[in-house]
Amino acid sequence: MSARRRVAAGLLAAGLALGGLATAGLPAFYESFLYIIFSWIALATSWSLLSGYAGYFSFGHGAFFGAGMYTTATLTTALGLPFLATLPVAGVVAAALGAGIGAVVFRVKRLRGELFGLLTLAVGFVLATIVLNTRIDGGPGVYLSAVPLPRLLSSPTGTLYLLGLALALATVAAAYVIAHSRLGLGLYAIHDDEDVAELEGVPTLSYKLIAFALSAGIAGVAGGIHAMYVSYVTVGETFSITVPLYVVLMSVLGGARHWLGPAVGATIIAASLYTFTGGQQAVLGRAAVAFVLILVILLLPEGVVPAALARWRRWRPHPLEIFTTAASTPAPAAPAVALTCENVWRAFGGIQALRGVSLSVEPGEIVGLVGPNGSGKTTLINVISGYYAADRGRVVLGAEVLTDRPAHEIAGLGVSRTHQIPRPFAHFTALDNVALAATFGATRLTPGQARAEARDWLEFTGLGRRAAALPHELNLHERKFLELARALAGRPRVILLDEVLSGLNPAEIAGAVRLIQEIRGRGVAVLFVEHLMRAVLELCDRVVVLNEGTVIATGSPHEAMRAERVVEVYLGKAHVVA
Amino acid sequence: MLEVRHLAIAYGGAPAVWDATLEVGEREVVSVIGPNGSGKSTLVNTIAGLLRAHSGELRFDGVDLGAVPSHLVCRQGIALVPEGRRLFMRMSVEENLEMGCYRGEARRARTTTLERVYRLFPILRERRRQLAGSLSGGQQQMVAIGRALMALPRLLLLDEPSLGLAPAVVDQMFEIIRAINGEGVAILLVEQNVVRALEIAARAYVLEEGRTVADGPPAILRQQSRIREAYLGLRDGGDVNP
Amino acid sequence: MPSLTLLGQAVVSGLLAGGIYGLLALGLSLSWGLLRLVNLAHFALALLGAYLTYQLGTALHMAPGLAMLAIVPAFFVLGMGFHAVFTYFRVTEFTSLLVTFGVAVILESLIQWFWTADYRRYETAYATASIRVGPLFVPTLEMLACLTAAVLALATWAWLRFSYVGKALRASAEDPAIAAAFGVNHRRQAFLLSGVSAAYAGIAGTFIALISTLAPSQIWAWVGVVFAVVIIGGLANPIGALLAGLLIGVSESLTMAVVTPAWAPLVSFSVLILILIARPDRV
Repeated sequence: MSARRRVAAGLLAAGLALGGLATAGLPAFYESFLYIIFSWIALATSWSLLSGYAGYFSFGHGAFFGAGMYTTATLTTALGLPFLATLPVAGVVAAALGAGIGAVVFRVKRLRGELFGLLTLAVGFVLATIVLNTRIDGGPGVYLSAVPLPRLLSSPTGTLYLLGLALALATVAAAYVIAHSRLGLGLYAIHDDEDVAELEGVPTLSYKLIAFALSAGIAGVAGGIHAMYVSYVTVGETFSITVPLYVVLMSVLGGARHWLGPAVGATIIAASLYTFTGGQQAVLGRAAVAFVLILVILLLPEGVVPAALARWRRWRPHPLEIFTTAASTPAPAAPAVALTCENVWRAFGGIQALRGVSLSVEPGEIVGLVGPNGSGKTTLINVISGYYAADRGRVVLGAEVLTDRPAHEIAGLGVSRTHQIPRPFAHFTALDNVALAATFGATRLTPGQARAEARDWLEFTGLGRRAAALPHELNLHERKFLELARALAGRPRVILLDEVLSGLNPAEIAGAVRLIQEIRGRGVAVLFVEHLMRAVLELCDRVVVLNEGTVIATGSPHEAMRAERVVEVYLGKAHVVA
Repeated sequence: MLEVRHLAIAYGGAPAVWDATLEVGEREVVSVIGPNGSGKSTLVNTIAGLLRAHSGELRFDGVDLGAVPSHLVCRQGIALVPEGRRLFMRMSVEENLEMGCYRGEARRARTTTLERVYRLFPILRERRRQLAGSLSGGQQQMVAIGRALMALPRLLLLDEPSLGLAPAVVDQMFEIIRAINGEGVAILLVEQNVVRALEIAARAYVLEEGRTVADGPPAILRQQSRIREAYLGLRDGGDVNP
Repeated sequence: MPSLTLLGQAVVSGLLAGGIYGLLALGLSLSWGLLRLVNLAHFALALLGAYLTYQLGTALHMAPGLAMLAIVPAFFVLGMGFHAVFTYFRVTEFTSLLVTFGVAVILESLIQWFWTADYRRYETAYATASIRVGPLFVPTLEMLACLTAAVLALATWAWLRFSYVGKALRASAEDPAIAAAFGVNHRRQAFLLSGVSAAYAGIAGTFIALISTLAPSQIWAWVGVVFAVVIIGGLANPIGALLAGLLIGVSESLTMAVVTPAWAPLVSFSVLILILIARPDRV
């Protein structure tokens, strides 16, 4: 049975069992106890879609929950809509709120990590103030006791129980599906290194918006149901710090990056809070939960579920997968084309890093880009790959103008690159690092196909046996080759190599040089930035020499490196005659 | 005074050093030359205590620097002028200089040394209240050198002091290095600019792909094709693979 | 439109409330700006300081000044203790937010367990004393708190600006490796600063005990306002924190006077949001 079917069967069985329990006539106390757990499962799991998967920790989940509560409260009491009809509206309102906030906030690059957390916290307080001071609430709170509750079961609590159960299961199922989809892969990559994710072809902005809207929408529906459960909605209770606090705790405890982690964390915390009810005990219970949170963050930063899974795997190790690929590495996905830079300018503050650079790379050609430190080589690579915008000039790939396109579109058109200091996704295995590039590069494979193809590229770069290793387990030479495999996996038409040889020993350099020759053999255009001149002369068909952002020589390696200007720049004046 | 034997250092993405050997005597000026990416900066940063070596010997006055915590290396009498200057940009010029004399002896001599630095770089006296980040490249380089002098070093490590400076400023910088050496400070200079580096040094080492491949007095090194080859990748005959 | 006297009174009470904000922001700004630790537990520590002052005053009849003398060194040690945990576990800027969130909840729970959730009021003979300036009343205690905030902000500024330790802290915040190359032992100074920051929370607590009514959930009411103050003032900028505190205090109390008290929280949170979106590079 495939993993996907096992999960589907498990969720279905849980749904039938818990649903059956209620129809069999569960005491109301247990119904409401379990309802609370379901509600927390939906909240914590929905929170993790953005905050766990993509690493944008939000302390504003209460705002979306509250938006849902007040939507249902207002629609049922003021407009007299039926309760069930308000739930989708609650979801849409909260999702729109999330997407709206995201549309503003995600455009500001630095608003990540703790700044995003603070911002979402503030959004919650602002929303609370607005609700409190407008006709939405106005101060005294909203009573829903007169709103009719459809009877799905014999008791009203039974209805809420079933609604909560359905939402919790649907949310966990959605979390599973997303975790194993293209979207999930992209979100995980954003978590580890958002800039690299974009450069590898992940449409980061739209993925974050989708995740935020979905996450907020589910919280909104949960809020809508909860409004009916509490039947008296007040600003103080709705927007208190409790919801954002507990969803963070639950997800982090269970494992925010795992689809099941938040559900497990929610069950543990909600159940233990419920056992400490009433007065002083509740206070100590809260302290105990906070203490456990601290311990988990410090000792099991990945959460309980991933830690348990890791232990389980160690105890019952998977049979080693044997690769028997013939390393039949495919050619580029699209017809070969040339890359051209036309008069590219780029400044940082007052410093002109590029002053009108023009160059071209033909298919199957290796063009060396050399020059002293600070001459603008890496800046040019960043402009071509879309990480920086050009101030003036254009970059053209075949018939497509790349300039001013977002980086992920450029990657999708078949431009890939390596980073001077390797930047693998830290939580991805070597295989998944490469598979991500195959998923989002020019080939657009499904995650399943991408993993199969990723194996080939790992074999090609000699990393086949390290497929399951995490980046921190690789040595420098392996990380450098992983960069190469990742750049190749998108089946690029143009590949930009930024000092792939630095830090390697002579034997490793010889290996890398052979690899690059093979890459050229496939008709890929290669732009090769390198300080190691021995390799530049061995590999390059042509050389472009940059100095202070200007091309000072081009031509065959021997011609270019003998040019008077070049010798002067490299060695100083006296050597020209020597 | 400084002895480096078969040092190996490999970190993250920084150019690695596989086998570096060099020596600096009292009051000597020694240059390390080699193309970009050959590991020159990695080497001086390790001597200054910023990085740790994997193997090999690193001694200063017989003391094993590998066993000295990085914040105590400067107490031995070694001060670094790092590549790219790395000033404390949000602090004033004078505060940057004062960070140089943070420790022990040097702090007690603050006033006299500060006076000496200001005599060496009069422009810094004028600018002493300004934020370091607001200075020109050449002035920032002066602050970086001044900061290192404040530590009263016996060995000054200079990492690419001419990088990004206009030719006239480079001339001035090398004058100053000579003057500092004239006061009895030994100098280990890492330079891309081969001509300058060989002009000023009594001896030089050539670093290539993390190994010291040649050493000797400048007059002899200048004759060798090795340097040209390393920098430009060209053999004199013109062929690449012998 | 309210009368001029009313507006003047609003400005005065805004300035005084702002002094407390500045006082609370000071320690937070230092540890965030210089150690890259976002310390949510700072608010909980301040409140703990307030309850301790209350307890020492009501149960043992200890004068607030004496209580402060006891609390400040105790908190200094406590702050160093927290820092020992942080360094042992290599807490990063982001996990520090989560961990101190947990610490804040624990402290809140302990306060609630010991003192219950009921409001507490430290009644003193001089609690209501005030000075009359023209048509305006200036409460003495709040003025004292505000002056203390100003003195501490100035002293901290001078310490960072003129002492070797202060300069070393700033240098390490910019480039720890180079600072170490010139002999700075950042670990030791980080402990010192953590202690100082916690001690500031204690000082703020003593004044809070005297000025306001105490309730455990007060911790969360400060979070938004004080973070706004820290960010507006600029990290590791004591004078900036004080001025930003005064600014937020005045704008809040003017909102209360001109619009309605319930809208006041909107001011600081909106400012915080706007600054985060427009100038995230300040942080």
